[in-house]
Amino acid sequence: MWVYEKKLQYPIKIKNPNPALAKIISTQYGGSDGELGASLRYLSQRYSMPYPELRAILTDIGTEELAHLEMIGAIIYQLTRNLTPEQIKEAGYDSYFVDHTTGVYPSSASGVPFTAAYIQSKGDVLTDIHEDLAAEQKARTTYDNILRFCDDPDVIDPIRFLREREIVHYQRFGEGLRIATDKLDSKNFYAFNPSFDKRKPNLNK
Amino acid sequence: MSERQNLMREIAEYDFAIVELNLYLDTHPNDYMAKQRLSDCEHKSRKLRAEYEEKFGPIIFRDSPDTRMMWIKSPWPWDICQEDN
Repeated sequence: MWVYEKKLQYPIKIKNPNPALAKIISTQYGGSDGELGASLRYLSQRYSMPYPELRAILTDIGTEELAHLEMIGAIIYQLTRNLTPEQIKEAGYDSYFVDHTTGVYPSSASGVPFTAAYIQSKGDVLTDIHEDLAAEQKARTTYDNILRFCDDPDVIDPIRFLREREIVHYQRFGEGLRIATDKLDSKNFYAFNPSFDKRKPNLNK
Repeated sequence: MSERQNLMREIAEYDFAIVELNLYLDTHPNDYMAKQRLSDCEHKSRKLRAEYEEKFGPIIFRDSPDTRMMWIKSPWPWDICQEDN
């Protein structure tokens, strides 16, 4: 279970609204490589993980991703405060506004609503950990791209924090992959699926 | 920054170290130094949280059952507060 803490993982205090930037950053809320997908991916995959270290990593990183989702929500909220209809139109935020006003909604920067098709839970330890390594890199690239459009230090600071976390998570998943392969048959990692097959097949046959 | 925000920032620093060390220990469970640092940070965070909750309201609702109203009314993490302006 989870218990809410009335605090952000990293403080966010944005003085100047900027709806154009909010639209770009919202992709990390509900886009293909965003924090919602990340948390659902890890928290779903952990059930079929055969090794306790991997269950721990997926639970702890999945939980941290929920804290990142909240940070992105706070950034979007603060970037879209006190807007006039003129500012909304000028920033190209009108297409979002007409559907959601300034409510925070999980969709990509181009307006595609969040879908579970962004994630995979394959029930195979090697496949799932590789998906997770790729996911962290895709999120890191997205943050790099977001940073190209940021000129407000109030926004750059927390986005850099989030970018750095992707790199740390990638590192931990890499160690997780190593822990998994160390437990598998070094001559053939794919001899059986430890998430499903109850017994190791006889390899001498 | 207000006193409340300064205290929260300090808590966030220790809590971040706790998250980071905990993740590291998931894949390095026998690292004695990391375990020591984790328990040191936990001790400091607990102390600061108690001070914060006493002054500004609960961070976790169960920790301060007498401050029901503060759970509702103290600033939510995404709020831009009067104290910022």
